[in-house]
Amino acid sequence: MISLLLAIAVGSLFACGTYLIMRRGQIKLILGLALLSHGVNLLLFGSGRLIEGRPPIFLNKTDYAETIKLNLPADPLPQALILTAIVISFGITAFVIVLVNRRHTVTQTDYVHGEFVPLLREGDPFDFSESTEIDQYDWLAYEVDEVYDSEELLTGFPTLPPSEQDESTAMEEDRYRWP
Amino acid sequence: MPELYLRFLNRILTPVLLLLSLYLLLRGHNLPGGGFIAGLMAAAAFQLQILSRGHERVRRTIGPYLNSGIGLGLAVAICAGAVGLLDGIFFKGVWFSLNLPVLGYLKIGTPVIFDLGVFLVVVSVATSYLLGLSRVSDAAALLRQDTDAPVRSDSPASVMPDANVEPSHRAEP
Amino acid sequence: MAMSANLLAVPVAAPLLTAALILLFARWGGRTLIRHQIALTALALCINLAVAVLLFRGAAGQGQQFVLQLGAWPAPFGITIYGDGLSATLLLLTALVALAVYPFAVATIDYHRARMGFHPLYLFLLMGVNGAFLAGDLFNLYVFFEVLLMASFVLLTIGAQPAQTNSGIRYVVLNLLASTVFLVAAGIAYGTLGTLNFAQIAERLPLASPAVRTVFAGLLLVGFGSKAAIFPLFFWLPASYHTPPPAVTALFGGLLTKVGVYTLFRSFTLFFPELLLSWQPALLTIAGATMLVGALGALAQPGIRRVLSFHIISHVGFMLMGLAVALSGNSLAIGFGLGAAIIYLCHHMIIKTALIMAGGAVELHMGSDRLASIGGLVSRQPFLAFLFFMAAISLAGVPPFSGFVSKLSLLQITLDTRHWVVAGVSVFASLLTMMNMMRLWRESFWGDYSRPSRVPSRILQSGVRQKLILTPVAVLVLLSLALGIWGEPAFRLSMQVAQQALDRQAYIEAVSPSAQISTLPAGHLTVPAESVSTNSPDGLSNAAARTPLVSR
Repeated sequence: MISLLLAIAVGSLFACGTYLIMRRGQIKLILGLALLSHGVNLLLFGSGRLIEGRPPIFLNKTDYAETIKLNLPADPLPQALILTAIVISFGITAFVIVLVNRRHTVTQTDYVHGEFVPLLREGDPFDFSESTEIDQYDWLAYEVDEVYDSEELLTGFPTLPPSEQDESTAMEEDRYRWP
Repeated sequence: MPELYLRFLNRILTPVLLLLSLYLLLRGHNLPGGGFIAGLMAAAAFQLQILSRGHERVRRTIGPYLNSGIGLGLAVAICAGAVGLLDGIFFKGVWFSLNLPVLGYLKIGTPVIFDLGVFLVVVSVATSYLLGLSRVSDAAALLRQDTDAPVRSDSPASVMPDANVEPSHRAEP
Repeated sequence: MAMSANLLAVPVAAPLLTAALILLFARWGGRTLIRHQIALTALALCINLAVAVLLFRGAAGQGQQFVLQLGAWPAPFGITIYGDGLSATLLLLTALVALAVYPFAVATIDYHRARMGFHPLYLFLLMGVNGAFLAGDLFNLYVFFEVLLMASFVLLTIGAQPAQTNSGIRYVVLNLLASTVFLVAAGIAYGTLGTLNFAQIAERLPLASPAVRTVFAGLLLVGFGSKAAIFPLFFWLPASYHTPPPAVTALFGGLLTKVGVYTLFRSFTLFFPELLLSWQPALLTIAGATMLVGALGALAQPGIRRVLSFHIISHVGFMLMGLAVALSGNSLAIGFGLGAAIIYLCHHMIIKTALIMAGGAVELHMGSDRLASIGGLVSRQPFLAFLFFMAAISLAGVPPFSGFVSKLSLLQITLDTRHWVVAGVSVFASLLTMMNMMRLWRESFWGDYSRPSRVPSRILQSGVRQKLILTPVAVLVLLSLALGIWGEPAFRLSMQVAQQALDRQAYIEAVSPSAQISTLPAGHLTVPAESVSTNSPDGLSNAAARTPLVSR
């Protein structure tokens, strides 16, 4: 009976988690991931023995001699596994919350598959770029010569490229020449 | 916004929580408790500080030690495992029994030291996470206050006034 | 002997301890401190490589098996760390790849990312990968998977550019779903078999009901296959691999999917070798589809790193094909398919890393990796063009290089077992690979010089940085050449490794869980520590009078 209830609980947690992950909002995504991890934890819990009133560890054997003789003790391992899984899902949930928040700040959108909207507000604490030409390859623009001032520069490189043509911003433009 | 009740409770609860976390840490190797639980308890104490005194003051107090705390915890945990190499096998538990005059019989071993490392890692990670999220919420409040903050556009095609509206208006019920 | 077993802990402990020391002493920030971080990380990588060489010599060269029961707890109760030829081969390659990517990363990672903890994260990723190769039970495998996933999440999104966070969400969610499936498989294994230890699962699984076996195998195939990016489950890979800095992509492309491939090899050869025969059509279909989809998808991609990340998928299909024919050699030796797959894995890890690094150098010089807008780099960077060309033809499988040996052996075993269709598909995928590689080289190096970005990139102008970038690429290309020239001894070695991996009895006897618990009554669960044996199997083979027992 109790195992049936447990099975129903695990199944409904999985169903709700899957449904929430399929939605578009990112908060729902976080909730869905949390529900899925809870479902797995409950499943791990069910993989131990579902019995009642038997301790897993006997500090003094004389008190529990009857129990030891009659029955198996409770299985403590699933709870150790669940504790580890909870720790891991705690860390991952923390990371996903921060990532979603960061993405919301950077792209000003809440949708997982939303369009790429590169808006950056002034004074963004994470915006390290000094350059005004920000494109997808923004991180290339970091000034590196301030780090290694003493390095010798090779000759033969133009400081600015000769071709000043504008870069096509849309990666999926159909101006691409097929081989 | 430091609240009066919260500040009052804070005075009482923070030492209690820290002592409780120490107690949980020290009994953890063969009774319920342990490094992770104790670390979360101590992080709860710090969160209480953040709520009552504001995150800037807490950051000024313990912020510089958080990264070092993670590193120290990991190093302590690994070194507790390496002590077992004296006995031939990595992570083998080594126990010492002491008879101290005041504390009485004391049994200490490498699992306790390992738990101490776990405690340090957990309290540092959880506190830095809580501090980071409180800064994020502050930044969000600031953004909400001045809605006419200058918006820097990156590519001219993407400057739309309603940029946070999903382009394909698929209705969410 | 005990010391040599303790060596197994070093690939996990050394990166972790070094990362801890970096966090403790060389805190984030300050340029001199970042130089200290670089020195410490390089030291850890060298230690890791030395230990991996020692383990490889012992395990693959002399056929030893190393077992370390952490804390002297015997097998089903404690944490088992197991290293045999397959693990040691992958450890060695991981150490090589990590050490080769590191100079590239030092030269190209900017100051801000380094200040945000790039170097400790590199070590954490290395620790997770090493631990996944060494794990001896299902739950520790899960834990190490999560460690490497966490490190890869942060490495993927470090710097938090918009494209990175966009792709980071997809990567995180799909990989977490795969981890969830894997954890469900672990729960089912514990619930039905009563154990999580690899050796004990291998011992008890033949006695379990076929339904349990099928569900367990299916869940493992989905979970590990999603990590390995096999056909219907690969979507996280091309969505994310082109967004982080090129050093991170090179590291990911060399290491991450290979962990999934290794776990597929390990689980299918150890747990259900009979499914390698009965599921062979399905596995071969997946392998063919993976090859074809990867190569065709690469054909449609407009950027260098996008093309290369689709090729990772295509090559995972080749390895899966080798696994599918592992047990069905007709006239060739048993395990020929697995040996071919292992040597393909080595070839792929070496040359894919070199190629992504070379492509990253092109991208850093050009400021863009869009093939339509770049070109003509051969006049400015002739050595880079030469290295890229060599790596590209090695990936495509041209004779003096390792790609030829590995592809030829895979084709040989597939034709020998009369799987004509998948053999034809693999040849076609190789042809598409060749075409793609030539397209990459022609578009980026040939023609008139055009550099689309107006942002001056000084990375390749600095002499030190140029050496740091090009030397590891050259070393990896030379390794690939050596693996191709000395193909026969290498292949003999990988056949030994494959036969050792297929020997389930040896694994079970080396870890030896059942001899200790099967006769114990349930009350005496505290096993004395004297009966622990942590040595290589010499002293253990007589302790194998097992009575297989399903306790539940």
